[in-house]
Amino acid sequence: MELVRDVQAGKKPFKRAYVGIFLWFTGKAVQAAARSDEQVKREFDALPDDFAFSMGCLPNGPWMVVGKEEGAVKYLGGNPEGRHQHLRLKIKNLEAAFLILTFQESTAMATVRNRIITDGELPHALAVMRVLDIVEVYLLPRRIAKLAVKRYPRWPLKRKLFGRFAVYTRTLLGF
Amino acid sequence: MIVPDYYEFCCRVKLLAGHDALERMADVLAERGIKKPLIVTDKGVAGAGLIDIVSKALSVSLNAHLVADTVPPDSDLRVVNELAAFYRDEGCDAVIAVGGGSVMDTAKGINIIVSENAADLMAFSGVGALKRPLKPMVAVPTTAGTGSEVTQVAVIKDHERHLKMAFGSYFLLPDMAVLDSRMTLTVPPFITAMTGMDAISHAMEAYYCLQKNPLSDAHSLAALSLLYRNLPVVTETPGDREARLEMAVGACLAGIAFSNSMVGMVHNLGHATGSVCGVPHGLCMAIFLPYGLEYNMHKRGDIMGELLLPLAGEAEYRETPREQRAKKVVSLVRRMNSKLNELTGGRHARCLREVVDRDGVPMVPREVLPEIARAALLDGASVYNPEEADYDDNVMVLEAAWEGEPLDRGKVKGG
Repeated sequence: MELVRDVQAGKKPFKRAYVGIFLWFTGKAVQAAARSDEQVKREFDALPDDFAFSMGCLPNGPWMVVGKEEGAVKYLGGNPEGRHQHLRLKIKNLEAAFLILTFQESTAMATVRNRIITDGELPHALAVMRVLDIVEVYLLPRRIAKLAVKRYPRWPLKRKLFGRFAVYTRTLLGF
Repeated sequence: MIVPDYYEFCCRVKLLAGHDALERMADVLAERGIKKPLIVTDKGVAGAGLIDIVSKALSVSLNAHLVADTVPPDSDLRVVNELAAFYRDEGCDAVIAVGGGSVMDTAKGINIIVSENAADLMAFSGVGALKRPLKPMVAVPTTAGTGSEVTQVAVIKDHERHLKMAFGSYFLLPDMAVLDSRMTLTVPPFITAMTGMDAISHAMEAYYCLQKNPLSDAHSLAALSLLYRNLPVVTETPGDREARLEMAVGACLAGIAFSNSMVGMVHNLGHATGSVCGVPHGLCMAIFLPYGLEYNMHKRGDIMGELLLPLAGEAEYRETPREQRAKKVVSLVRRMNSKLNELTGGRHARCLREVVDRDGVPMVPREVLPEIARAALLDGASVYNPEEADYDDNVMVLEAAWEGEPLDRGKVKGG
């Protein structure tokens, strides 16, 4: 009888793929929003010139890395290794990431329930969380976005329509 | 009662509370084999004669202890390093912090260095950087307010490099907290009033903010019934030992509650006002508490209404219609602030425009409110507030708190 067994973490390919695609798309959308939305621009302007942050799940990812390069905000891929990051938002495991990214739990409640570890300075984390909230409002239909953010913003129609068009277009075309 | 899908709660601090708790502390230290503790304090506490009381109590069961009273009003890395070297050189085996928040933070910093044999405290900053238990530490609070005797955080400032290091770990919880009525008997009414309101704000925010849970709720309610009843008593009659002890226990209960469920807008704006204008923390809490309640009432009205029971008692709670209870809680907080204002001869400010320094100069000019609103966006307490608060919301609340007018709740942008 086998008494000792080497237990490996489950691979959960569907959830991993979903989380990976969501983070990739969100990273691209943050880059797009930083070029289209004044509030997102202001948030990044207030951060250090070489600011970079990553968000992903422990222990094995997936991750997204976003940072400023030569004054422009860019999606820097899915590999956080070997790159200095001012901030790492680490979701404790894939299940928690799936809960958050399928909007079964808002980002605020996930933080409150200790599902996210913030590694870095708090003001940076708060700025990134505000940016992610704005990006979610752009990307998601109102009904779903309301589950993701604490307060659904009352934006002028112009910002809502043109902003969403610009963010989606830039995200999909990658400029 | 809200039972969250998931929550965490931890308080493993041994509490000794009573009129002679310090003498019992000496016994417990001796039982644990501690031979030479280092008392860490500041000159104010030592000058008030409190260290003499602690020293006398310790000498009942311990042959030796040392006293260092060089802690500044703001924790300082240089002092932490100096006292850690002193601890090592003298062969101490425990730290006893006697004082307020700065003393507690300094003692925690010393304990990290001597336990981890660390050269650079910065290596242990952040949440979760400490991986193992530290050496024994005892907290003896000298105000009934901060609750730092039961909190798992410390903030140490490096004034030379202009850095503020924050530490968060369950290992930072003191092994023991001693609540002895003698430690707060000499606190003047003005300080008593604002530190008491600080404790009340801990209990209330812990009860209605997002991370509330059944265990923190129980601590909040118990804290409020003690604090609300005794605060005017100790402000008016500082020598009332029974009321002082009940205040100390209430503040400790509130500390346990908020360190497990966090705080929201009241602390968010209070931290910002403190950093921009230097207003004492407790006074900020007293001023902002009714506004934090009003701002979040559309989301947490029913929960806030439950606070009426420990504040006003069963009869008034029953007589007040459910939808009126939260508003009644706000009016009772305002009534308490007015009473404290009266008892302190006007020193306990009820609104920001009433806050003055020792020379009578206003500390919060109206034109700095936008700066405070911006500073509040950098503070983590906002995460736990039930309603989102952006720059404009902060300005709106600050304007009302400056004037001392109730918040126009119709202007709160509901989520």
